[in-house]
Amino acid sequence: MTRASHLVASDVDLFSHALLEDPHPVLRELRDLGGAVYMRRHDFYVLTRYEDVRAAVRDWRTFTSARGTGLVPELNAGQIGGVLASDPPEHDSLRAVLSEQVSPRAIHKLRGDIGRQAAELVDAVVPLGTFDAITQLAQRLPVQVVADLIGLPEEGRENLIPGADAAFAAFGPLTPELQERLPYLVAFLEWIEQVGTRDQLAPGSWGAAVLDAVDEGRLPADKAFPLMRAFLVAGMDTTVNGIGSMLRIFAERPDVWEEVRSNPKLAGAAFEETLRLESPVQGFFRETTRDVEIDGTTVPAGSRVCLHFGSANRDERHFVDPNRFDLHRGALDHLAFGNGVHGCAGQGLARLEARAIVSALAERVTTFELAGSPVRHYNPVIRGLQELPIAVTTRARTKGVRS
Amino acid sequence: MRVSADMARCEGHGLCEEVAPSVYELDDDAVVTVAHEKVPPELERLAEAGAQVCPVAALKVIR
Repeated sequence: MTRASHLVASDVDLFSHALLEDPHPVLRELRDLGGAVYMRRHDFYVLTRYEDVRAAVRDWRTFTSARGTGLVPELNAGQIGGVLASDPPEHDSLRAVLSEQVSPRAIHKLRGDIGRQAAELVDAVVPLGTFDAITQLAQRLPVQVVADLIGLPEEGRENLIPGADAAFAAFGPLTPELQERLPYLVAFLEWIEQVGTRDQLAPGSWGAAVLDAVDEGRLPADKAFPLMRAFLVAGMDTTVNGIGSMLRIFAERPDVWEEVRSNPKLAGAAFEETLRLESPVQGFFRETTRDVEIDGTTVPAGSRVCLHFGSANRDERHFVDPNRFDLHRGALDHLAFGNGVHGCAGQGLARLEARAIVSALAERVTTFELAGSPVRHYNPVIRGLQELPIAVTTRARTKGVRS
Repeated sequence: MRVSADMARCEGHGLCEEVAPSVYELDDDAVVTVAHEKVPPELERLAEAGAQVCPVAALKVIR
């Protein structure tokens, strides 16, 4: 006997502004509704439970990336065949081009350099007393670090943040907001084609390594720019928002900040728990290659399926008291970086950048508090802030106030 | 229980070692080595937890 398949459906618009201000109550309802829920708005299925998302992300034969990892076919078209939107073995040969460079064992050597850059950025904002931790801190380090690693010239780097934001927005529905952002994406793509050349890229850089792979016949020439773009986009809003959300938690939870400040070794734990709670990439899409049964619902072959990392990471079936930030949770099995063949290649770098910011702050700052209301940034698949006003005091200043 | 490590996939993230240092070790090149050919029963849960956190699914538990 097979169970009769039933359709669990919802009319919620998962990408609306109002919902994305606070998606968690609705995501919880969806998790309770069923393992796979058909979303009538935008015509896709969403997987919201930890075990289902984890199983799907590790099963690329059933949940293919080769037809794009965004919602809309028109927008997926430009992505197909790139490192995100491909399956093994094509995917593996693309990922292999930079895997030595981005691997944690190579990244480790950058620790001193990234630590210095983080210290410089923190030194520039701390004397101000109040500052915007997103634009003046969280956005700065990834732009500097990733652009340097790819080997891009200084001029034109202002294209990176808006370009990456638009690239991520293109994973969601075709909305007027997306249309407004597309010019930024176009400007970013044009800039990469201009500067992603042998004479412009720094020798020994990741960008130069991509061109080496073309020269050595390991990479088709037409894949060079898309690969550089993929690493650039992937290294922006993800890390920026991971760091931004972590700083917000520090500002709202003085107990957490105090603990991290007195023991900066907890920086890594703070970042992992932030990623679980505020996963910068909330979800990516796959397409089913066959009919799949999930929790009694048959997801037909050829369906768009959203793997909701943000929801999976707050699934009460897997995490105890999932909405609570717990510095000592030790939940390294969160899915914020995905998992499996498409597991985030740059996660070692992201961890290094986040730890560098925390160490630099911990060494210099005593109190770390909100100086105004944080403002959420709207992006259909990325969760983060556009403003985070922060007030800090340093050791010297706190003493002065108290004496 | 055994753990098979796919050396070609391992990128040296080191999360397995962080979770289960008695089972996994990163060598000088940050490539994972599994300390036991056959995982002792008392370490099975740790071995599983370590395999579970591998970001690139390079570790497989075989029963």
